[in-house]
Amino acid sequence: MEKMKFLLFVLTSCLLLSACSLKEDAADLYKKESPLEAEVILPDAFLDDQQETIEVLLTQDGKEVNGADYVHFEIWKQDGSLHYNMEPAKAMGYGLYALSKDFHSDGLYYLKVHASSNGSVISPQMQFVVGELSKEELKILQQDLPATEGGHEHHH
Amino acid sequence: MGTVESPSGENKKQTGNSVYRTIWRWHFYAGIIFAPFLLILAVTGSIYLFKPQIEQNIYQDYWVVTPNGEKLPASQQIERAKELYPDGLVTTYRPGESETRSSEVGISQNNESLTVFIDPYTGESLGTLNNQDRIMDRIEEFHGELMAGTIGDRIVELVACWAVVLIVTGLFMWYPRKKQNIFGVIIPRFNKGKKILRRDLHAVPAFWITAGMLFLILTGLPWSGFWGNNFQSIVTNTGEGYPPSVWIGNAPVSDVKTKDIAEVPWAAEKLDVPVSDIEGFTTLPIDDVVETAKREGIDPSYTIYIPNSKEGVYTLSAFPPKAEDEVTMHIDQYSGAVLADYRYDNYGLAGKIVAWGITLHKGTQFGVINQIVSLLICLGMILVVVSGFYLWLKRKPTKEMGAPKAPSIIKAKTFLFVLIGLGILFPLVGLSLIFVWLLDFLVIQRIPAVKKFMNA
Repeated sequence: MEKMKFLLFVLTSCLLLSACSLKEDAADLYKKESPLEAEVILPDAFLDDQQETIEVLLTQDGKEVNGADYVHFEIWKQDGSLHYNMEPAKAMGYGLYALSKDFHSDGLYYLKVHASSNGSVISPQMQFVVGELSKEELKILQQDLPATEGGHEHHH
Repeated sequence: MGTVESPSGENKKQTGNSVYRTIWRWHFYAGIIFAPFLLILAVTGSIYLFKPQIEQNIYQDYWVVTPNGEKLPASQQIERAKELYPDGLVTTYRPGESETRSSEVGISQNNESLTVFIDPYTGESLGTLNNQDRIMDRIEEFHGELMAGTIGDRIVELVACWAVVLIVTGLFMWYPRKKQNIFGVIIPRFNKGKKILRRDLHAVPAFWITAGMLFLILTGLPWSGFWGNNFQSIVTNTGEGYPPSVWIGNAPVSDVKTKDIAEVPWAAEKLDVPVSDIEGFTTLPIDDVVETAKREGIDPSYTIYIPNSKEGVYTLSAFPPKAEDEVTMHIDQYSGAVLADYRYDNYGLAGKIVAWGITLHKGTQFGVINQIVSLLICLGMILVVVSGFYLWLKRKPTKEMGAPKAPSIIKAKTFLFVLIGLGILFPLVGLSLIFVWLLDFLVIQRIPAVKKFMNA
C-alpha cells in the first residue's frame, strides 16, 4: 500500500513537473511562408535641380529577388500637393529596383512599394522628409494621424 | 442479478461480490462529490449550445444592418468608433460576415473590453456592448471555469476526468451478470416495483448516453487549462497538432529593425527627434489588411487583431461553425507580408481531430441536428445526475452516508490498475487520488465516528 502510494506520487509529480512547453522551432513542422522583405534606400540628399533615385532592395528567404512579379512605387506628399501614381520601378540587378523622381518642394513624403514575388505580396509604406518640415506637417506627425493614402489601385 | 441491492453474504462468488462493492463504493463517492458540478456543466452546456440563435435574437439591434451601396473602408469605421471612445485603444476589427451584418470595433478602455457595433454603410454606431455584460460569454465562463478563473478551470477539468471514472465504474455495475433480456439493461423495468424502477431510471439512461458523455468529455478536455495545454503542446511539437499560435505558442513577429520604423515626435512646435528617426516604415493601414484577407480568400467571419507593439503582427482569425473553414493568419504590420497562413488543411491529423471535436462539442459543426443531439446528451446527463442523487436519498440510512462497505481497493486489481492508469493519463485525477488516500489513511481510518459514517 505504502509502496503503491509512493509510486503513484512519484509518477504524478514527474508528469506535473515535466509539464511540456512548446518547442521554439515547432513552426518549422507546419506550412511555411516565404515573406518578401523590402529595404528602402533613400538618396543621401534631395537637390532642387535634379531627379533623385529611390531604390528598394527585395529579399526573400535570405536571397536577393531579381525576377519579381512586379515592383511599383507610389509616391505622394502628405499635404496632397503632389502625387506620383503607381509606376513600375526599374530592375537594377542584385535585388535592387529603382525609380527616379523630382522632389522640388520641401515637406513630408510617403513612398508605398507594391511588390510581389513567388506568392508573397507586400505593400510597405515609408515616411520620409525632404528639406524642412512645415509647422502643419509637424503637427500632423505629432497627432499620430494615419497617413492619408493616395489613390488606391488594385493589383490582381 | 446485476443490480445494486444490498450486498449479502449469501452470494457464492465472494470475490466477485467484493470487487463489485469496491467499484460501487468508488462510484458512490465520486458520484456524490461530482454530481453538482456535472449538473452545472450539463445545464450551462445546454444553454451555450444555442449561443448562435440566442445571440442572434438578443443582439439583433446591434447586429443587423440594411445593405445600402458600398461599405465604408475599415479605417473610416474605426475612426467613428475612436470618436466615441477617444481614450480607448482599438484592439480588434471584425468586418461582418454578410451584407446584413454590422462591423465590430473592439476597444480596450480602463481595463474593460468594449465592442462598438458600426453600420458599415453609414458609419453610424449601433451601440456598444461591454464584453463583461455579454450573457453567453458569462455562461461560457461558468461552463469552462465556474466563474472562478484558473481554480475553476482546474475543477472543471477534474470533474471531467472523474466523470470518466464514473462512466467506467457505472458501466461495470450496469453490465448484466446473467444472460437476461433487455429489460433493466437497455429498457427500464417499469412494472417490477419502485426500487427496481429507481435503479433502472439511473442505470439505463446512463448507458444510453455513455458514448455521448465520453465524447463530450474527451472533446472538452483539449480546451482545459492544464491537461489541455500540455496535450496541445505535445501534439504541436510532434507536427501533428495545431500549428503554433492557433491554440498555444506565439505568433511570428514583424521583422523590421527598430531603426527602420518611423517614430512620432512628441514635443509641439519643434522637431525633437532627428529627421532620420521620423523616416521609416509606418504601420500598414488596416484597409490593406482587409484587402489581403479578400485576396487570400479567408472565411468572412474573421476578426483582425491590431498590433499594439513594435514587433506585433496583424492577426486574422476565424473560427466559424465548421472546422474546415478555420483560419489563423499573421501579417507583418509594416510590409503587409503574410508571415503565416494556417488553415484547417495545414493542421496535423491530431489538430484536425481536435478541431472537429471542438466544433462538434459546441454544436456548430452540423448546425441544428448537432445542437439537438448534444442537447439530448445534456438532458440525459441531467436525468442521470438527478436520478442518481434520488437513488441515494431513497436508500440512505438516516445516520450514515449509506456507502457500501468494501474491502481495500488492493483486492480489486484490475480496477486498481484502471484507476492508476487514469491517474497517470490525467494527473489531476492522480493528485486527487493521492489526496483521497491520504485523507482515508490520516483521518477516516483514525476517527471512529467518521469511519462509521463513511462506512469505511
